[in-house]
Amino acid sequence: MTQLELQQRGLLDLIKGRGTPPTEPYLVSVAGSKGLGMIREIAVWWRAFQIEAQCYFTSRLLKSYGRFDSLITSYFKGNATSPFVEELSRGFLLWLQAEEDSLIRSVTQFEYAFLEVRGNSDVVFEVLWDRNPDEVFQALEGRRELPTRDGKYAYRMRIGRNLPGMFVCTRGPERLQHGQEEYRPTLAQEQKRNEKSAGSARNEGDVVRASQSKRHVSG
Amino acid sequence: MASANFISIIQHQPALATTYEGDDPELLERLAPLVDMIEISPDAIAGSDGKRARLRPEVMDEYASVSSQLRFVAHGVGLSIGSFDQWSESYLCLLDELFARFDLAWHSEHLAYTEVAGENVGTMLALPRTQEALDLVCERVRRIQERYGVPFLLEHVIQLLPDAPGDFTPAGFLNAVTSNTGCGLILDIYNLECDAHNQGLDISGFLEELDLSSVREMHVAGGVKQNGFQLDIHSRESSNSTLKLAREVAARAPGLRAVTYEFLKEAIPSLGRDAICAELVRVRKAMQQ
Repeated sequence: MTQLELQQRGLLDLIKGRGTPPTEPYLVSVAGSKGLGMIREIAVWWRAFQIEAQCYFTSRLLKSYGRFDSLITSYFKGNATSPFVEELSRGFLLWLQAEEDSLIRSVTQFEYAFLEVRGNSDVVFEVLWDRNPDEVFQALEGRRELPTRDGKYAYRMRIGRNLPGMFVCTRGPERLQHGQEEYRPTLAQEQKRNEKSAGSARNEGDVVRASQSKRHVSG
Repeated sequence: MASANFISIIQHQPALATTYEGDDPELLERLAPLVDMIEISPDAIAGSDGKRARLRPEVMDEYASVSSQLRFVAHGVGLSIGSFDQWSESYLCLLDELFARFDLAWHSEHLAYTEVAGENVGTMLALPRTQEALDLVCERVRRIQERYGVPFLLEHVIQLLPDAPGDFTPAGFLNAVTSNTGCGLILDIYNLECDAHNQGLDISGFLEELDLSSVREMHVAGGVKQNGFQLDIHSRESSNSTLKLAREVAARAPGLRAVTYEFLKEAIPSLGRDAICAELVRVRKAMQQ
């Protein structure tokens, strides 16, 4: 290993806060420096700024939970992040799929799907919600209290480039009974469907308004 | 519309450039009459097609709308020319796209690295000023020069970490890069002030040692102090000291072609479009004194 490689790998580990404490004299001096803390802060700050700009609803949701900063920091430390904002955002949103909270999963799936669709993906994405997504979007937009789980209905949202308005949301026919096993929304990728099938989906249940969401995700 | 360009040419003043990263047509419309050149940062205007980063076509169209009035230069962040293993092919793909669409007067990158073994560091780190780093950078500069065939400039970055042991002084390292490769320099006046504040850089001594004939472009900007550090987060107007120093250096840099006022897109809401435009007028006036 050359001196340059040794130094660069060592600095990366220090910035990410991983690995064993260094023994090489220069890296030891960096580990004890104020500058290292500043570099870490800047690195996380940049990721946070980019993700906040790109993932509007996810950022607001995580902030409402008081978890935005800690999750960004964890993501940066534990993952190889992309320098490009859209790829960074995709990676972060996918990473959040491991979260236990069903609302975090639904919101992040929704924003991930829109990033893909905006990137000209032909895939139609499906996102399941355990509460009315439009009420979620309005609450996040207005920084109001989030709606609780809907005990009667589940909401199925389909997002695709060729869908009218880019997405359709239907309520039911699934019903969540009290005590019933909670469904775990998955980022199901369906093959491209034509507008006819999208039209028929609209008739499966009540179409949920989603006017608030379009403004922030369709660019 | 062409008056600003014309004044620069007839008075042999350096051109005035500024940052524009898209999505704000009103700002671009206001910037166009005030500057001669636009600095395009390919990294900042990259979207993704789901497979790889690509320049966002809608932003490219914005640039095209002013291409008859303004010249363009590219200023990269993510080439990572100093990475021990490889530079960023993703960044070069973006640069290829940009060159395919526009005539660029020159392009530039930071003398730094942002990736280590393919993993993003999260910021730009300065290289150790060693012979090993010098050889690596010079070889890559030559490849870049061959690939694009237009002038290539390198910009020094601020140093927040302790200075690594090395074989060159800060100015000596830059001199070695430029003399070995023929590439030009971007001298970031605000970065010098940051290094003076954070690392105790002797700016006068640095400028005395630096081969100022290699300076093609200067950057001016304003930033913030945090945790005792002066940071190169370009979110403010330039300070009077920055412009004064820029003027002094310009008088000693015969190859200077442009002065660029840089600001972050993220800073526009707090800085304000009016302040950005006023700053450009101020910078031009300062450089003409």
